Amino acid sequence: MRKKLTPYILLVPQIILTIFFLIGLITGIAQSLGVIPAFGLTEPTLFYYKEILTKPDMVRSVLYSLRIAFFSALFSTAAGVLLCAVLVMSRRTKGKMMRIVQLPIVVPHVVVALFVINICSQNGLLARVIYAFGLIGEQQEFPTLIYDAGGFGIILAYLWKEIPFIVYFVIALMANIDGKLGEAAVNLGAGRVQAFFRVTLPLCANTIYSGFLIIFVFALGAYELPFILGATTPKALPVQAYIQYTHPDLRNRPYAMALNGLIMAISLLSACVYFALMRRSQKKLAGK
Amino acid sequence: MKKKRFAITNMILALFVLTVVLPIAVMIVWTVTERWAWPDLVPQVFSLRALSEIFRRSEALAKLFASSIMISAAVAMASVVIGTMTARALVLYEFWGKRMMYFFTVLPFMVPATVFAMGVQISFIKLGLNNTVAGVVLSHLICSLPYAVRLMMDGTAAVGDRLEEQARVLGASMGQAFFRVTFPLLVPVILSSFSMAYIVSFSQYFLTLLIGGGQVRTFTIVMVPYLQGGDRNIACAYSVFFLGITLAVFALFEKIAGRWGKNTDTEFYT
Repeated sequence: MRKKLTPYILLVPQIILTIFFLIGLITGIAQSLGVIPAFGLTEPTLFYYKEILTKPDMVRSVLYSLRIAFFSALFSTAAGVLLCAVLVMSRRTKGKMMRIVQLPIVVPHVVVALFVINICSQNGLLARVIYAFGLIGEQQEFPTLIYDAGGFGIILAYLWKEIPFIVYFVIALMANIDGKLGEAAVNLGAGRVQAFFRVTLPLCANTIYSGFLIIFVFALGAYELPFILGATTPKALPVQAYIQYTHPDLRNRPYAMALNGLIMAISLLSACVYFALMRRSQKKLAGK
Repeated sequence: MKKKRFAITNMILALFVLTVVLPIAVMIVWTVTERWAWPDLVPQVFSLRALSEIFRRSEALAKLFASSIMISAAVAMASVVIGTMTARALVLYEFWGKRMMYFFTVLPFMVPATVFAMGVQISFIKLGLNNTVAGVVLSHLICSLPYAVRLMMDGTAAVGDRLEEQARVLGASMGQAFFRVTFPLLVPVILSSFSMAYIVSFSQYFLTLLIGGGQVRTFTIVMVPYLQGGDRNIACAYSVFFLGITLAVFALFEKIAGRWGKNTDTEFYT
């Protein structure tokens, strides 16, 4: 009997925290459907969702956020995997190189924003270097990389932080597979590069997908970088949601929650796609 | 052919190291820069103004240090303890609701902190947790815990419970078996869970802003106005100070974990 109860006793603090988390989510979802009993609103409605999906500035926010999240995740994953491959093939998966890889993981996003301002603004080091080479004649000729409508500065900031994250996330597995099965493929006559692409990389696919997913969901919902480095318009979804949330007219709150609901829906949808992909690749491996 | 490939890999690695290190170096230069006008590549006037300013207000700095580092350390400590418990339950036991519980523990990975924060604030206000350190710690904990649980689950699975069973058979109590046998083997994983949870908490801006309501001032909360107001020297000085401390602590952890790894015989669970 005691043995049966043990796992539940161990889980007590976890369950309490999970309840807090779920209260947050459920309150948010209820409010996004226009149910705020304190304001006398009790009829659930999809009005606010329709509204945010048709208002032009809201739609632009959605597209802007999706763009930033997608490109940040895509480029980080691609560059991270490439870097990982280089590290694995040159057998530098431990020691000094890994210290450098770990460094950006420790740095908060707020500080990364500071880096981007220092380096990539029109007054930044990059503009000065390009000027020194005579490629631009004036400060104003340097393209605006931050506070821009394309979200370029934000994506750069994410890349600085997330490429090392992907390396850190994938490298142990990749080094292990490459050292065992990759080596076996080489012994059987495959080239190093061929062994990597035909054996090691497909076996790391699941981990790589989940790295992509983590970055995508994070960049979609994160507030600080678009808040500090983003354009005045369009605004990223979380920034837009917070503006609606703190709006003096409390009737704007459902808009904030509908925007949050949208972020959550996209995140969960991508998680479902991920699980479907994972199941398929597992089946494929099992089938062989 | 072989040489050429080495040249390319070395170039990629050099470029990577440069992009990581350069912004940090520039930030350090900024802490002692007074004037750095366009288009010079090095500052014209250096001064210790920013550094002396943050250290002159030593009381404010000490307070910021305490609230920032203490909050994150408390969050990390709680994450490790709860993470260890949750991981044990999920890895070593079979029970009803296990899959559902696992889903809920990793759910915060899939729902952004901003969404959670705006939804939960009203409940925090009702419970009197808003604008308090306890509220901030609790909200950070919810976001840091999944990382600790994930790491501790891997660690617990690697160590297993066979040695603990042995100790039990030889007459140790449950607590003794855990603290004298399993715990020492888990120390490296515990340290990395602690570090990860600490980083997640230390990097939070939005949660602290909303739940702390400007009353709880952590490093990121203090930093952002300087960033936006353009006093970059101060922002850089704060960043260098706090990152320095964080890195020093992590280096210490690594030393401990390294020493521990040498002392304990790992052949038992490999």
